Amino acid sequence: MSLHNPTRNTATAAQAPQAPAPVPPAKPVPWRPLAAVLAVAVIAVASFWSVEITWSRLLGLPADIVRYLWLMFSNPNWDKLGEALAQTWRSVQMAWVGTVLGLLISFPLSFLAARGFAPAPVRGLLRMAFALIRAVPEIVIAIIILSVTGLTPLTGALALAVNSIGTLGKWGYESIEGVDPGPLEAVRAAGGSTSQVIRWGVWPSAMPEFASFWLYRFEINVRASAVLGLIGVGGVGDMLTSYTQYREWSTVGVLILVVIAVTMGIDAVSGAIRRRLTDGGKPQ
Amino acid sequence: MTDLQIPAKPRGRWKPYAATLVIVAITAVTLSPQWGIAFGFDAISRNWQNGVGKILEMLSPDFSFFPRTVAPLLETLQMAVIATLVGSLLGLPLSMWAARPTNPNSVTRTLVRTALNIVRSVPDLLYAAVLVAMVGVGALPGILALVMFNLGTIVKLVSESIEANDTGLLEAGSAAGGTRAQINRALALPEVAPAFINQTLYVFELNVRASTVLGLVGAGGLGLLIDAVRTFYRYDQLSLIILEILILVLLLDKFSDVIRRRLV
Repeated sequence: MSLHNPTRNTATAAQAPQAPAPVPPAKPVPWRPLAAVLAVAVIAVASFWSVEITWSRLLGLPADIVRYLWLMFSNPNWDKLGEALAQTWRSVQMAWVGTVLGLLISFPLSFLAARGFAPAPVRGLLRMAFALIRAVPEIVIAIIILSVTGLTPLTGALALAVNSIGTLGKWGYESIEGVDPGPLEAVRAAGGSTSQVIRWGVWPSAMPEFASFWLYRFEINVRASAVLGLIGVGGVGDMLTSYTQYREWSTVGVLILVVIAVTMGIDAVSGAIRRRLTDGGKPQ
Repeated sequence: MTDLQIPAKPRGRWKPYAATLVIVAITAVTLSPQWGIAFGFDAISRNWQNGVGKILEMLSPDFSFFPRTVAPLLETLQMAVIATLVGSLLGLPLSMWAARPTNPNSVTRTLVRTALNIVRSVPDLLYAAVLVAMVGVGALPGILALVMFNLGTIVKLVSESIEANDTGLLEAGSAAGGTRAQINRALALPEVAPAFINQTLYVFELNVRASTVLGLVGAGGLGLLIDAVRTFYRYDQLSLIILEILILVLLLDKFSDVIRRRLV
């Protein structure tokens, strides 16, 4: 810097003696962060103080957890492995059907909710519906649906489908609105109809995103399907609650291992496919 | 001049068709009555009136039920606040352990990452179901389940954002002779603080949603009430609870939106 701009240096050097002794400005008091920290602290203390917990139970907790982990995993009851895998397969099926139904319904809806494809009132209504669905936990949706289809895996699949519509619809319209408008205009200028605009303008650039959303939602649904079993619609969650209630810990251990293995396996496969989709295939 | 050379059609055009075929095949298997979940419209066609009746019942929430929902609602919020706090405070050092720039030791890094991958693959309600059997009914198993779930999420997101940050500062720290702990404390921490606060907010939102249903397995909060009204088929009371969850979640969205905008 001094090489290229010598005048500036000499100027500051000349000015320096006349300047009064430098007074460092007072450090700004970080009022806002301080207030935020204080607010969080007050809320935290209030929660800890008011929640109804016998904190003394925490003292025995580490020993308890070690004891139960020992009961679960020291001698897992591998005889139940077959049943555990069958129930897990049923959960995965719920997740799959829920995802497929969800994507079939949400795909057209996300176009109707995207700017430029439908009138504003339709758009607003759909977006509100997506937000409402996303705010309700899937297990509550399942409780409503089971009044129609009973305690069957179908109930679980339908609940997951409804919940998937909320998230897939939102991601879908966001991704459609994010598409480069150039190709769309080109198709419109060439006289393309709306369906042709979607096929040749939106689909080629939005497809990888859509496919990766579907896969990601499938991963979420696999976890959620295990949870839905807790209300009795079948699958691995159902089996887990019964064996926890019987306190058959060696079987619970097997179930947890199966859930972990299957979830991680599906995540790995789906993650690999998603990476291929979004980053492109092998380098040419 | 020869004829115009038309380039060959790109290879791999069969791939989308193959993928569609695989998806259709799996769907067919999962829908079939023998191997799958026996998808059928007969139950729906038989009972749809039942469902419509329930939904009509839900359209008129029983507001007189409100006083009884206040305490569980508060408990849900308390569980979410405590779990977020504990989870994020435990998660911050663990994320530093799990990120390459702040922990160059590949053995401990892989160890922490693997452990948290396993922790993350178990859904929160399954933790709650098992923990209720271990420590008894109440808010405590719910909080513990949420903490497990939070650790997985926070460490993944925060360690990823540490790795996305510029490593120049950290290199300057080690060039100046700082120990790993000093570098992480003085340089990595301020750099990752906004991302950390952001993810903590996100996890708080997830916790409020999750803690509304944890009670279904006996872990305290609104879920206990959901379980009670569902066994009595009081769908008008259920709809009041859903309404409260909706309002809570939407308010929370707005609240964290405001804070996020301040942060950026």
